[in-house]
Amino acid sequence: MITVSWSLCAQEADTLLASRVSATRDAPVTRAAEEAPLQGGQPLVADAVRRFTGVQLKDYGGAGGLKTVNVRGLGSEHVGVFIDGLLVDNAQNMQVDLGRFSTENFASVALYNGQKSRRLQTAKEYANGAALYLEPVRPERDAWRISVRGGSFLTGSAALQRHKVWKRLRLSAGAEALYSGGRYPYPYFDTTLFRENSDIRSLRLESRLEGELAGGEWNLALYAYGSERGFPGPVIRRATGFPFSAERQADQDAFLQGGWRSGTGCIYSAAVRFKLADSYTHYNAHAEKNPMAMPYDLRFRQQSAYLSVAQSLALGSRWSLDLATDAQRNVLHADRTYSVEPRRTTLTSVLAGRYTAERFRAAAHILWQGAWDAGACRGAWMPSASLHWEPLEWLELEAYARRSCRLPSFNDLYYIAIGNVNLRPEYAGQVGMDLRMHTKHLSLRVSPYYNQVADKILALPTASQFRWSMLNIGLVDITGVDSRLEATWAIGDLNLGGTLRYSFQRALDHSDPGKQTYGLQIPYAPEHSGSAHVRAEWKVWSLEWETSVTGPRWSATSTSADYYLPAWSVSDLSLGKGFGHGLSALLRVNNIFGARYQIVKGYPMPGTSFSLTLTFKV
Amino acid sequence: MKKAFLLFFSGLLAFAACQDPVNPEIPSKDADLAGEAMDVSGLSGFNKLFVLNEGQMGSNNASLDMLRLSDGNYITGVFKKMNPQEAAGLGDVGNDIAVAGDEVWIAVNNSGIVEVLSAKDETEIAAIQVPMPRCLAFDDKYAYVTSWNGAVAVYGPDWSVDAEKSKNPKGAVYRIDRSTKQVAGSVEVGYQPEGLAVYNGKLYVANSGGISSSLPPAYSYDNTVSIIDLASFSVSKTLEVEINIQKVWSDGTGNIYVNTFGNYYSVHSGLWCIKADDSVAKVSDYAAYTAIGGNTVYCFGNENEFSYSEPANWKAWKCRNGVKEEWNIQLGDIAPYGLTALPDGSIIIADAGDFFNPGKVSLFSNGVMKWTVPAGVCPAHFAIW
Repeated sequence: MITVSWSLCAQEADTLLASRVSATRDAPVTRAAEEAPLQGGQPLVADAVRRFTGVQLKDYGGAGGLKTVNVRGLGSEHVGVFIDGLLVDNAQNMQVDLGRFSTENFASVALYNGQKSRRLQTAKEYANGAALYLEPVRPERDAWRISVRGGSFLTGSAALQRHKVWKRLRLSAGAEALYSGGRYPYPYFDTTLFRENSDIRSLRLESRLEGELAGGEWNLALYAYGSERGFPGPVIRRATGFPFSAERQADQDAFLQGGWRSGTGCIYSAAVRFKLADSYTHYNAHAEKNPMAMPYDLRFRQQSAYLSVAQSLALGSRWSLDLATDAQRNVLHADRTYSVEPRRTTLTSVLAGRYTAERFRAAAHILWQGAWDAGACRGAWMPSASLHWEPLEWLELEAYARRSCRLPSFNDLYYIAIGNVNLRPEYAGQVGMDLRMHTKHLSLRVSPYYNQVADKILALPTASQFRWSMLNIGLVDITGVDSRLEATWAIGDLNLGGTLRYSFQRALDHSDPGKQTYGLQIPYAPEHSGSAHVRAEWKVWSLEWETSVTGPRWSATSTSADYYLPAWSVSDLSLGKGFGHGLSALLRVNNIFGARYQIVKGYPMPGTSFSLTLTFKV
Repeated sequence: MKKAFLLFFSGLLAFAACQDPVNPEIPSKDADLAGEAMDVSGLSGFNKLFVLNEGQMGSNNASLDMLRLSDGNYITGVFKKMNPQEAAGLGDVGNDIAVAGDEVWIAVNNSGIVEVLSAKDETEIAAIQVPMPRCLAFDDKYAYVTSWNGAVAVYGPDWSVDAEKSKNPKGAVYRIDRSTKQVAGSVEVGYQPEGLAVYNGKLYVANSGGISSSLPPAYSYDNTVSIIDLASFSVSKTLEVEINIQKVWSDGTGNIYVNTFGNYYSVHSGLWCIKADDSVAKVSDYAAYTAIGGNTVYCFGNENEFSYSEPANWKAWKCRNGVKEEWNIQLGDIAPYGLTALPDGSIIIADAGDFFNPGKVSLFSNGVMKWTVPAGVCPAHFAIW
């Protein structure tokens, strides 16, 4: 059955058939559960991701509030965020703040629940319970893009982006500055107060070069992000005259990443990628402004170096075998807050086999990860298998089974007084199915799943967003269904689209039958959540409406009224118009009915807010 | 059988109460509060046991429970139920509770409030502002509150303070007039003062240095007890004991006990005794949780206290007149986070569980557990009225 010749390069590379074979073989085995374009809509990646099925966004409110995602009951430590295929990591606390990623320089975001399996992936791409992929904008022609945004709570931003295309080289470069006063009103028991010390200023710079080299593609990207923000603190009973918080944090992050990837038309192909990252944080409780604060003034610097070598063998037209190995070194410098100077060397290696035919694809992977920390080595095997089958033109079936783990973070291990050097990794076993049906105007996805998390560590808010209290609640069984119904219709110039999403999730603590928490829903996991989204476009006009609903939750593993967080619903509206000559305007009204709600207990979310964005493209 | 008997007996009592219209007791406003009925047979010598649940820092969920001896009800969330006007509840991190006369005083640490309640019906009498209040003690006229933020004179009306000094301010003891509920002065003591006790015109204050230990330049705990002369309200003497002093108990006969927590890796926790001549002697190592009942200090020490990974190995012991004694108590699977001795010698032990979800409170009589009841988050401190 092996029809392609065994020369080093497939002879038929220039024929249409071969390119189709190659495209099939290079496609990911399973599809993304959710995908969304980013440019020209929501200002933050977090805004786009929060509507995805199975995703619970944890948001502390305001432009400067931490925003992380949990996926299908797996904590944010299991969710890998990849830019251009390379992991954004944070060995200190394993949390990636999605509030820091702007939609300006990314074309799309995709969520994978099952194992994404594509040729020449890095080994790290196989090692996460769920993955968010941010795809950078790829320049197609010379262009400028300028956008200016202003809105409620003294929020303003300006962004500039330049695209330049040469014969064998493409450049995109951009800058974005943001300021938000963040002083929004919220109900404080029976009165109304304003969020104080909630401002943020940030500057983001990025540039990315890509081109062709030696029959393959290369790219090199440099990202830099600096911010200075206040943490307004949890809303508590506080003596009059004392602020809730005077905490400030300054961040300076930079990373350089790039790589080269050979063409995949040959039998043997390879990719080499690297990343160097440096991130500096200065946190100050400003006890001189708040006598109630612990007088902490902490500085951290995280550095990491990462190298990945991926190799792939094309065995005939349908089989491929990948071997990818990643090596990473993480170091954290801090002043006296850790019991040791945290350092970690991680080796990740994966062997992946794939079969890809026109209507049937399957993959199996076996991954080993070893992490050497001060005093301990933690090794873990992570197997996974997935398949994709299209029995009918309108029907697709996918299934996956996998086991992954997340390593304890430096904070879990070494943070003074709370760190535990003997922590075990947290394991996640996952099985799931995707059933997709589509007609000309309608598409439906129904995805039942079962996850089991062993030795689960939950990060929950303490007095400060910066410090966490780690809670290991042992064993959690999560059963759920994600579903999405999408409809599109075009009548002349009028394009209509609508999406209904609903997720059911039962995430039960099964750690210890003797405890009163046994059998109860874990904190912050709603049983029901969903959203309705409609979009209409007519000539130069666009109109969008979204209502999302999250069911009641508890902030502890308890059904006591003291921990009850009521259901909430917010509706957002946006209206866009193009004026010709590359100029467009977008008016957004967020939380149009001014719903009062908290996602994280003690952190009220903003009421109604407006923003106006003007974009000029040439 | 026993239960049925009790039920019958209590029914009889209720009947008897109804039969007596001559001396009708004015019903307390909290009489309608009901909780879980516990077996209180054998307990005597008090009306109510108050349990302060610390709550989780930043979660605003400190709460007050009580065990009412009259009907054996264990009632949770009493403050909220009796004080709906305080919409924000008791506040964030309840750190100490004490009874003075018919008043319950509660230091709500992260709220900066000392709450004064009626012990009869738990209604609010006053909410007094004290920055970072920690622990409470009384004499006839004043209440004394340790505060991590001393040097109050340095703060202006907007609480602004010299940045250099605020890096590691010494703590203070605030004096509050028990009748007016007004702050009547403060005196600077050591770093991050915690427990305190009044004896013979003197106030003994534990200085922990819990925050100093992680601050430059010294990165060290405090190791002193400040002795304040109450007549002049000034520090008359500073005694060195051992690092990280947390609790001070007076047995009323001249022995002042000091509970030190050590540094968690090379210096053990322990109990020390200050005699009348201010001489200091160590009683024993291993004292993580202590309480005084009469002239006896009850201690739980974790023999694995330097280990972050091994399970705790609790050893119980007690101390009388400066001498360590045996104490037999069968903890079972209870992990102590606080304890108190009831007047009849029974012991109440709090178990904070995972420190995040509601904990539990257990009664031990003659070293054996009689019952366990769910409490609030991090039950830890007790007061008896």
